[in-house]
Amino acid sequence: MSKQSPVHFHRMKDMPSTHLLGTGTPMCAGCGGLETLHTLYDILGEKTVFVNAAGCMTLLSVYPFTPFRGGWLYTSMGSAPAGAQGVRDALDILLQKKKLSAEEDVEVVVITGDGAAYGMGMSATSAAMDRNLDFIYLCYDNEGYGNTGQQYSAATPHAAITSTSKGSHGYPGYKKDLFAIWAAHNPAYVATVIAAEPLDLAKKIERLQSLSGPRMLISLAPCPTGWDYDPELSVEVGRLAVRTGVWPLKEYIDGEVRHTKIPKQRQPVEDYLRLQGRFRHLFEPQRDEAGIAEIQARVDAYWKRILEE
Amino acid sequence: MTAKLLTGNSAAAWGARLAPVDYIPAFPITPQTEIIEDLAFWVDRGELDARLVTLESEHSMITAAAAAASSGVRAFTATSSQGLLYGMEMIYTVSGWRTPFVLVNVSRGLASPITLESDHNDIMAARDSGFLQIHCATCQEIADGVLIAYRLAEHPEVRVPAIVNLDGFYLSFTREPVDLPDASKAAAFVGEYDPENLQFKGNTPLSQAMAVLGGGPYSYFRYETHLAVERALSIYDEVIEEFAATFGRRYDKIDAYCMDDADYVFIMLGSFSTKARDAVDSLRAAGNKIGLLRPRLFRPLPAALLRQWLRGRRAVAVIDQNISMGMGGILHSELATALYGIDKAPLLASYIGGLGGRDISQQEFFAIADELNLAYQQGAAPPVRLLYTRNEMTEMRKLQAIAQAEHAEIRQAEGKS
Amino acid sequence: MFRIRFHGRGGQGMKTASRILGSAFFRAGYEVQDAPRYGAERRGAPIFAYVRADRKVINERGIIDHPDLVVVADDTLVGMPAAGVTQGMDAHTLMLINSHESAEVWSQRLNTEASILILAAREDVADRASLPYIGSRCAAAAAALCGVISREILIAAINDELAHLSTDVIERNCQIAQTAFDQMSDQSGLVKQGGSLSAADYIPPEWIDMPFEKAEVSNLAIHAGATSVKVRTGLWRTMRPVIDYDRCSGCTWICSTYCPDGCIDVRADGYPEIDYDHCKGCLVCVAQCPPHAIESIPEQTAREQESGEQT
Repeated sequence: MSKQSPVHFHRMKDMPSTHLLGTGTPMCAGCGGLETLHTLYDILGEKTVFVNAAGCMTLLSVYPFTPFRGGWLYTSMGSAPAGAQGVRDALDILLQKKKLSAEEDVEVVVITGDGAAYGMGMSATSAAMDRNLDFIYLCYDNEGYGNTGQQYSAATPHAAITSTSKGSHGYPGYKKDLFAIWAAHNPAYVATVIAAEPLDLAKKIERLQSLSGPRMLISLAPCPTGWDYDPELSVEVGRLAVRTGVWPLKEYIDGEVRHTKIPKQRQPVEDYLRLQGRFRHLFEPQRDEAGIAEIQARVDAYWKRILEE
Repeated sequence: MTAKLLTGNSAAAWGARLAPVDYIPAFPITPQTEIIEDLAFWVDRGELDARLVTLESEHSMITAAAAAASSGVRAFTATSSQGLLYGMEMIYTVSGWRTPFVLVNVSRGLASPITLESDHNDIMAARDSGFLQIHCATCQEIADGVLIAYRLAEHPEVRVPAIVNLDGFYLSFTREPVDLPDASKAAAFVGEYDPENLQFKGNTPLSQAMAVLGGGPYSYFRYETHLAVERALSIYDEVIEEFAATFGRRYDKIDAYCMDDADYVFIMLGSFSTKARDAVDSLRAAGNKIGLLRPRLFRPLPAALLRQWLRGRRAVAVIDQNISMGMGGILHSELATALYGIDKAPLLASYIGGLGGRDISQQEFFAIADELNLAYQQGAAPPVRLLYTRNEMTEMRKLQAIAQAEHAEIRQAEGKS
Repeated sequence: MFRIRFHGRGGQGMKTASRILGSAFFRAGYEVQDAPRYGAERRGAPIFAYVRADRKVINERGIIDHPDLVVVADDTLVGMPAAGVTQGMDAHTLMLINSHESAEVWSQRLNTEASILILAAREDVADRASLPYIGSRCAAAAAALCGVISREILIAAINDELAHLSTDVIERNCQIAQTAFDQMSDQSGLVKQGGSLSAADYIPPEWIDMPFEKAEVSNLAIHAGATSVKVRTGLWRTMRPVIDYDRCSGCTWICSTYCPDGCIDVRADGYPEIDYDHCKGCLVCVAQCPPHAIESIPEQTAREQESGEQT
């Protein structure tokens, strides 16, 4: 894939004002994942093939309706990166055999939820990075198997109530560090993003457009349905995930991890937790000081380590 | 004499080379691995202008093959046994994408228990997937079968992927003389890969393989895939005529041997059928008018042709190298379905054998023929026979004695206390 | 057999309604089937659930084609073809609509032979996405109309189905259900049980011989871009964001970027414009607008205002 000369995103004002992704998709109102996807699409443009795994976004395209203006291929829950491999290889073969012009070449983009990225699709993703596949991967991480009603996944944060962790303390496990796992493969690019910080997101998309090889994005995807909050709060919840330090925005490039937005005065995590029904048990009927403190302590420890480095 | 000695695996690789293929997603598994090793060797040496990529699983490998075919290139892949099963979600999925490619399956018995040797339960698991199935009995047929499979799968009225099946060990690692088709003639026979309207490129809107809502649209796509697979029956005849005219070898949908005056018939798939040929010769020499049918094309099943061949025969032995637990031989069931209700239907007897590479001896073929004779005289088919000899059971008992030695001691000790 | 369909939006509790009614019938000694119909529906999208009840074993399955009773929790769905509210209704059908408007208005509007009753909508609800207790109200009204379920059984069924909720929520549901039950009690037994189809006299299915079509035609692919715009997700909306252009400062990159669905475009004059055909009413734009120039109003009110302006 020949690399385009990127637009420069300096201010919010530089964000695209025309939207490419078709409206009318069956994603929930207030979907934080769709918010990331439409920005990605606006910037990458129509010369793309999205290779989709099973998840909420399986339903982006339901015959005969598609929001895409370029290419889209649905595969399965476990093998979207392998689908991307087949598409990319085919494009390269056709380019090499002069059956496709450079003008007709397209960027290959995998989209999966956290269920596929953190679980079933992990070996396919790992192997795509091993093979240095030239592709972009967007994981919309809503921290659970959202399309089936928000059962916990390996991306679910500690203490969250899900439909398979309804007990009084919520999910007992801890969210897996997918960023570190991906970065350990030494791909061209890995970044965490969130739609609630559009400029950071746009800059990272711009950066990955100038690179080749595996370019990996994990977008925290606030989910009104699965996290139990009012849809209008989607951006607010996302912003608080960053400002409380729960969702560090960072990127991995050339062997280095760089934090792209370090909250100067981190808000207490409870500002983030309190808005979401999945953490209500930490506040009602009684405040669970120990539970909140544990989550705060983990976030504090993370940032202490980062700021000391 | 242009023939040379090639293993079945090598013949399969040659088929892919001669098509020629553009893209080979691969994953190793015994007894298939040599196919991708040969192809990798040719690609490395620049003898084959294709890209070979080793995926991390068959599930991914089949996804990549179909995705590449959906993006405009001719893809080839190969697997075996557990690998086919690991990829089975995608086998069923990608046939519905309606993009043709060829997968060679080297048949090997399924776990459990684990075995490396051949039977047909792996390929039977793909029976209802929407892939075409061509079953080979010789190494020659494998090389030719890959070319025929491409031509058939890529036909505009078919457009589904195809499996070319060969038996592990008996063909995969066995060298036989193979007359390789001339490269330019082979390429001309298969033709250029035409992606039709399924190809991703800039400024072309194309979304593929999505969900539908409701049973109406779902049924439409499923029915159309079925009708396309059925269509391959008549297209096969056209393809095979042209193949015969070009290369001088004819591969009818059903390979029929000594069938003209046969009262009795053996029916089976794959390479063991050549053993049955020998048995037919010996039985005929002994005065038994018996013949052999071997379906090459198994999906679509040439049911009308089977009826045509079998109407008026006295008795038929279906010899299955597979077992559907709780039901029996799968080819037997299919034959019973095909023959149900026709006039002058023969008696149908079911034999299961050759599992996990177990041999079927000439004596067993002779004994089966005798049972068919008896069945005809008595007017009733014998019960299903699971081929197993006293000697095999004796050997099995020895293994069990070792395996259960301590268990027996413990039981004994418990009994004493 | 009683055949009852509940129509509402995702999140309004139609599954609960069908389960309460199902449990009530079961407690009253009936054989019962109850089920929600899932698809790709999300919060706010039209959904339905159904109940069958009979004195003998029920063999019929799947969605109800010819309902005896259709209960509509949200009257904004009635005129929406995609919601299928009026599907299969005829003179035999009784329709109960939760609405501010009268039965006469609905009869006229729908031009239907079905009888229409109104379950007086509670006045204090702005956002229909969270119509409180509507599941219990609908189930209670339906129970009363069927005429074979007592008040006590209804209350027991509500307790069965809401057992996972707190005592005061259950209590409040029971109170509201009783009120709805009593409201409908003078119409008790109005639902007429439908019979089964006659095999002696029926309209045969128009089977066709499935035509073979080449993959070029029958492949599972869409050869067009952005066809999703034909899907009017604006129908999901219960609250409408409205831009006050006097206060709008034209910082379109904010609302237009944050709108998850990309429903806010920029007009030629540089001001934002909301695509109401597709806006799902998440109200992220209302929450994010820096000068607070976007307010939310009930969709119903907005439509009434629009139709007022037109006439």
